[in-house]
Amino acid sequence: MKLTVDQLTAGYGKAQVLFGLTLEVAEGELVALLGANGAGKTTALRVLSGLIKPWGGQVALDGQSLLGLSAARRARLGLGHVPEGRQLFPLMSVEENLLLGAAFLAWESRAEGLERVYRLFPRLAERRRQLAGTLSGGEQQMLAIGRALMGRPRILMVDEPSLGLSPRLAEEVLATLAQVRAEGVGVLLVEQNVALSLEVADRGYVVEHGRVVLQGQAKELIQNQAVQKAYLAL
Amino acid sequence: MELLLQTLINGILAAGLYALVASGLALAVGVVGIVNFAHGEFSMIGAFVSYLLFVGAGIDPILSLGLAAVVLFVVGALTYYGLIRPVLAAPELNQMLLTFGLSVALQNLALLLFGADTRVLFTPYQGATLALGGVSFGLPPFAAFVLSVGLLVGLYAFLGRTRLGFAVRAVAQNRLAPGLLGIETQRIYLLAFGLSAALAGMAGVMLSVMLYTSPTVGFAYTLKAFAIIVMAGLGNLRGVIPAAIVLALAEALVSTYVPGGGGWVEAVFFLVIFLALTWRSWRTR
Repeated sequence: MKLTVDQLTAGYGKAQVLFGLTLEVAEGELVALLGANGAGKTTALRVLSGLIKPWGGQVALDGQSLLGLSAARRARLGLGHVPEGRQLFPLMSVEENLLLGAAFLAWESRAEGLERVYRLFPRLAERRRQLAGTLSGGEQQMLAIGRALMGRPRILMVDEPSLGLSPRLAEEVLATLAQVRAEGVGVLLVEQNVALSLEVADRGYVVEHGRVVLQGQAKELIQNQAVQKAYLAL
Repeated sequence: MELLLQTLINGILAAGLYALVASGLALAVGVVGIVNFAHGEFSMIGAFVSYLLFVGAGIDPILSLGLAAVVLFVVGALTYYGLIRPVLAAPELNQMLLTFGLSVALQNLALLLFGADTRVLFTPYQGATLALGGVSFGLPPFAAFVLSVGLLVGLYAFLGRTRLGFAVRAVAQNRLAPGLLGIETQRIYLLAFGLSAALAGMAGVMLSVMLYTSPTVGFAYTLKAFAIIVMAGLGNLRGVIPAAIVLALAEALVSTYVPGGGGWVEAVFFLVIFLALTWRSWRTR
């Protein structure tokens, strides 16, 4: 499965944010979407998952256009989205949050999904009866990712998973995303922590003012002088 | 002592119906996020459904209950689709003006169609009373209490034990995430609002027997339901039952022990809102 985004334009009210964004993510690869605050990364994810409507351009999953489909339809087609701010169900337990991630799947397949998530995040298994609102920031992030995985996405978009986490925890979360990629899921990772995300990513796109200004293999991007100067402070 | 007991029982019996109306409102507020001032008018429509079926076709209100639920579910769903959905993203004041306008419009539509008379149903069991020890109470309030409790048990079972109810609770806690997890949020809103109206409508059928049917019969229940959900914490369904009991007991005590209490009963809800908000602001300080 492949997610393709072509010449996407979008904005809020009269303020345009995306100016022809073009990128693609295939199953089994981890792609980093890099850029400064306000470059349009989060807006891009929101358009892709159907939370806001684009002004123009194309979004397709395996050639099938997603435009006009509800967010729920896109999720059912295999496009997962771990949104900014985690958006958990605070008064539900860890396990209930996870089960809601599998709400549209056959109820029987949930045990399998739980097992997979608990294997990726053993910490969540320990806290399965605890209310989501009482988890630490790192655990909440794990839960948000785990909940999205319960829907068995083929492409998973993750918005700023390292935000508010200690460097060690951030590394742990990104390492888990690399593991998810190894299981065959395509991961589109939005991150401000450029050094850390290029370490785990296969490829990367650098976004400035709503369009891609630089793209390539993660190894090449780390060596790129412009990237080093702008984002890695080397 | 007997008077007190009688008063308490009257209060408890009234609490069932209050909880039913308020649970519906709590669904609209908590799940759909809309403050629905027309909630009581759904009860009014339910009362008229019961009245017209009884007078026109001789159908007993107990049988009308199911039909009124279906009719009001459809009315609620259409209201959601036509009026609520377009203003979901609008400022709260606009939403409130809309539902307040709907309340006025429905009252006046009923006035136009049926006139302002209060209409009483004469069922065979209208005047029947049950006696228990030294206290006695009417059969209709007792039946309304039992039916309300049954419906509330059903509602809680739906929310707590079914997959759809699970999704409804999820939407109440976070509006953004369910869509990303493959849950059609719009359908959940539609269901919750339809259910909210259906609960109000069934309460209206009971009102048509216990009280009367008139274009304005529902409005007092909108206000009482608001007092209850404010006490419970807006959108908190679990708090609705204890809050309904508090309001109904307060009303019963005022009606029995305050001189000229009958006239003050309709103001108790206001005092309750006032106290609940004051207490809450002190507690969170």
